[in-house]
Amino acid sequence: MARVDIEEVVKTYGNVRALDGVSLSIASGEFFTLLGPSGCGKTTLLRTIAGFNAHDGGHIRVDGTPIDDVAAHRRDMGLVYQDYAIFPHMTVSENVAFGLVTRRKPRAEIEERVRRVLDLVQLGPLADRLPQALSGGQQQRVALARAMVINPRILLMDEPLSNLDAKLRIELREDIRTLQRSLGITTIYVTHDQEEALVVSDRVCVMHQGRVHQVATPPEVYARPATLFVASFVGAMNLFADLAVDAAGNVTVAGVRLRVPALAGRTRATIGIRPEDVVLDGPDDGAPSLSFDAKVERASFAGRELLLRLTAADSTGLAANSYRPDPSAVPQPGQHARARLPLSRLHAFDPATGARIGTGA
Amino acid sequence: MSARRPRDFWTWVLVAVLAILAVLLVWPLAGIFKASLTDNRSGAFTFANYVRVLTQPFFQTALTNTLIVGIGGMLGATLIGVPLAVLTTRFAISGRNFLSTVAALTLVSPPFIGAYAWIMMLGRNGFVRAAFEDIGIEIPSIYGFFGIILVFSLKFYPFVFLMTSAALRTINPTLEEAAVGLGAGPARRLFQVTLPLVTPAITSGALLTFVLSIADFGTPAIVGGRVRVLATTAFNLFTSEMGGNPGLASSVSALLIAVSAAVVVLQRWWAARRNVESALVRRPAPRRLGPLASLGAHAACYLIAFAGFLPSLVVVWTSFRKTSGPVFVPGFGVDSYAKILREVPQVIGNSAIYSLVAVALITVVGTLVGYILSRRQTRLSATLDAGLMIPYLVPGVVLGLAFTVAFNAWPLELTGTATIIVLMLFVRRLPYAVRSSATILRQIRGTIEEAAISLGASPARAFAKITLPLMVPGIVSGALMSFITAINELSSSLILYVGRTMTMPVRIYLSVLDGEFGTAAALSTILLAATGIAVYTVLHVSGRNESALA
Ligand SMILES: Nc1ncnc2c1ncn2[C@@H]1O[C@H](COP(=O)(O)OP(=O)(O)OP(=O)(O)O)[C@@H](O)[C@H]1O
Ligand SMILES: [Mg+2]
Repeated sequence: MARVDIEEVVKTYGNVRALDGVSLSIASGEFFTLLGPSGCGKTTLLRTIAGFNAHDGGHIRVDGTPIDDVAAHRRDMGLVYQDYAIFPHMTVSENVAFGLVTRRKPRAEIEERVRRVLDLVQLGPLADRLPQALSGGQQQRVALARAMVINPRILLMDEPLSNLDAKLRIELREDIRTLQRSLGITTIYVTHDQEEALVVSDRVCVMHQGRVHQVATPPEVYARPATLFVASFVGAMNLFADLAVDAAGNVTVAGVRLRVPALAGRTRATIGIRPEDVVLDGPDDGAPSLSFDAKVERASFAGRELLLRLTAADSTGLAANSYRPDPSAVPQPGQHARARLPLSRLHAFDPATGARIGTGA
Repeated sequence: MSARRPRDFWTWVLVAVLAILAVLLVWPLAGIFKASLTDNRSGAFTFANYVRVLTQPFFQTALTNTLIVGIGGMLGATLIGVPLAVLTTRFAISGRNFLSTVAALTLVSPPFIGAYAWIMMLGRNGFVRAAFEDIGIEIPSIYGFFGIILVFSLKFYPFVFLMTSAALRTINPTLEEAAVGLGAGPARRLFQVTLPLVTPAITSGALLTFVLSIADFGTPAIVGGRVRVLATTAFNLFTSEMGGNPGLASSVSALLIAVSAAVVVLQRWWAARRNVESALVRRPAPRRLGPLASLGAHAACYLIAFAGFLPSLVVVWTSFRKTSGPVFVPGFGVDSYAKILREVPQVIGNSAIYSLVAVALITVVGTLVGYILSRRQTRLSATLDAGLMIPYLVPGVVLGLAFTVAFNAWPLELTGTATIIVLMLFVRRLPYAVRSSATILRQIRGTIEEAAISLGASPARAFAKITLPLMVPGIVSGALMSFITAINELSSSLILYVGRTMTMPVRIYLSVLDGEFGTAAALSTILLAATGIAVYTVLHVSGRNESALA
C-alpha cells in the first residue's frame, strides 16, 4: 500500500514528447487507470514509474519519498505485461516463486505463499507445468500471481488483458478487481479499452499526446468530460463544432436558437450531447431545450438498444440511441421524428482550447 | 531535473569492453600507422615508406597480384557457387542436404590445408600430375596464380552458394511465373528475372570472398611460388633475416587494410540493401529434369562438392600412408601419427589450450557484448558495434604485426608468451560470438527480463537467471564457430609464435615448407577432426541449417 505522486514528469524520445508534463496523485489502495488512444504515452508513464525509462524532468514520489534515482529492482513494484512475460524455462510455481527467492525468503515460507497465491488465481493444479503448456488466460494469471506474491507496494499492469478473447477479458477483469480489493494493493492499470477502464477503476486518468486531460471517477468522466478529447474518446457524443455565440449567450443548432447561460460573454463554442440523451418524440416538459424535426436516415436495432442516424432540415446530422426499444415499432428510414436536446444534457466546450465550459449534469 | 538511468552493471561492462578493445585493437593498429610514418633509423616522421610502397615496382606488383587473386578468387567462387545454388534450389537434385553439409564442411576446413593438398596432387611431385605424366600428359604446375585462385575458388564458393540459395528460396515464385506468363523462356527467365532478384545476395557473397581472398596468407605462401601478394610481402618484410623493415611492412599493412576496408564498406552497403524479397509466401517447387539433363545436373553438383572437399580427403588419406623417413612408401600405417607424437606433441596441446582459453574469454565477453548491442543502444554501444568491425577489416598478418610492435615493451611486454597468442585469437574471433549472441537475443523478448527486475532481481541477476539460460543455444554455436576459426588460425600465430608456443597450423605450415608431408597430413587430420566435431555439434545444438555457419 502506497501513495504515488507524479509531478510534472517529462519524457522525450528525439523530438516526440511522450510525456509532456504529467502530474497525478494516486491514493493508497486505489485502482487507478490510465486510459488513452494508442501512442498517448500510457506505457511510457508506467515504465517510468517502474524505473525502466529514465524521465527527462519532474519527480515521482512514493509515500512522499522521491524515487527518481532508485533502481528499478529496488522499487518494489509488481509489473504485469500485455505479453505476460512468463519465464519460459521455469514451471508455473518457479515463475511465481522468483521474486520471493530473489528476496531470500525461507523455503517453507516461499512454498506456502506460492501455494496460496496460486489457489487465489485458481492455478493450483497447474503448479508444475511449463508455460508452453498453458493457455493465454492461464499465462496471464501466472503473471498476476507472480507480481502479487511479493506484496508489492504498487502493482503496475500494462494492458494485461488485450491479448485475450472478449469473454475471458471480462472474466479476468472481475478477478483482478476482486483480488486487488481484497489485498488493497495500490494499482495502476493501463488500457485503451474505455469500457474496461470504466468498469474496474476507482479513478480514471484520460491521456492524449503525452498530456493528462482528466482525472476523475468513471461516472464523472462520463458525465462531465473535461475536454473535447475526453468527450469524444469516452463514450460517443454528437458535437456541433465551433458555433457562433451572440451577446446574450444564444447558439443556433439546426436553425433553432437556445440561450445557454454558461456561454454568456463568449463568442464561440462547441456544443455536444450524448446520443442517449437525445429525446425522440417525447413529451415536452417545458424545460429549456433545442427541439427540431429530423428525418431518420438509418435505424439499427441491436436488441438492448436502438441506434438512429438522423438529419435535420438544414442537414445537421444527429445520432440518437434509445434503450429497451419496442421491436415492433422500429422507425423506418424516411420517417420523421421530433428531436429534443435538453439544455441540462448539453456539454459546452471552448473550441480553441477544447476545455469544458460547463452546462449539464 | 533529476538523475537519469542509474549506472548499472551493464554500463561497467560496456566501459570495460571498450577499454579492452582500445588496448587490443586500437592501440596496436595505431602503432602500425605510426610505424608506417616513421623512418626506421632516425625515428623521424616521414612519408617515405608510403612513397616507396606506392611507386616501387616491387610493391606495385604485390598490390596488382593481390587484386588479381582477390578478383580471381571472387569470380571463381561466384562461378561455382551461383550455378550450384540455382541447380539445387530450382531442380530436383537428390541429396541436397548432403551437398549443403559438404559445402559447410569445406567452408570451415582451414584454407592452407586446401593449398597443401593441391600441392600433393598437382605440385612438382604431385601424385595426380605424376599419374598423368606416366601416360604422357603434361599438366601445368600448380604454383602461381592458377594454384592460388583454384584454392580460393574451391574453398570460398560455399559462401556464395549458401547465401545465394537462401535468397533463391525466398523469391516469391509468382514473379517467375508471371515472367513465364509473359512468354519468357526458361533461360530468359533465369537471366532476366531470377538472377537480378538475387543479385544483392550474390554480390554480398562475392565481396565477402574477395575480402577473405586478399587477407589470406597461407594459400599464397604455400602455392604462390613466385607470386607475391601484400599479405606475404608484409610478412617477409617484417620477419626477414636482415632484421626486417617495420616501416615498410607497416605501410604495406596499411595499404592492405585500406583495400579490405573499401571492400567491406561496399559489402555492408550491399548487405543493407538486401532483404527486399524476404516476405516469402510459398516455396517454389523444384522442377523435374529429363533423364539426360538430370544426369548432367547431378554430375555437376557432386563434382563441385567433391572438388571442394577433395583436399580434406587427400589429407586424411596421406596421413595414413606408410613413411620411411621423409618419403612415402607403399602401404598404410600410422607412422605419421607416431612421428608427431614423438616429435611435436606439445603443438597439439598448445593449439587445444590456446583455442579453449580464447574461446572461454570470447564466450563470456561476446555474450555480454551481444547483449549490450541488442538491448542497450546508446552512443557508447554504437562505438562498440563499429569497433567490432575492425577484426573483419584487418587481415591476420597485419594484426599479428601490430601485436608484435605494440606488445614488445613495458607496460605490456608479451612477446613470445602464450598470452599474446590467446589475446590475438580472442580479439580476432570475438565478433563471431557477439553476432550469434545478438541474433538469439532478438528472439527473446525484453519484457521477461524487466519482469524479473521488477520482482527485485538486480540487472545482473535478471540476466544470469532469466536471459542467459535462454541464450544458451546461441552462445554454444557462437563458441563453436569461434573455436573452429581459432584452432585453425595460421597467419597471426605464425608471426607471434616462438618455439614453445607453436600451434598445429604453424607446424603444418612449416612442415609443408620442409616437404614433410606426412607430419603435415597427420596434424591436419587432427585439426579436421576437431573442426568436424565442432561443426556437427553446431548443427545439432542450433537446429539450424548450414547457413548458420556462413
Ligand atoms: N523507445 C522509444 N523510442 C522512440 N519513441 C518511443 C519509444 N517508446 C515510445 N515512443 C513514442 O512515445 C509515444 C508514447 O508511446 P507509448 O508506448 O507510451 O504509447 P501507449 O500509450 O502505451 O500506446 P499503446 O496503446 O499503443 O501501447 C509514442 O509516440 C511512441 O511512438
Ligand atoms: Mg502501450
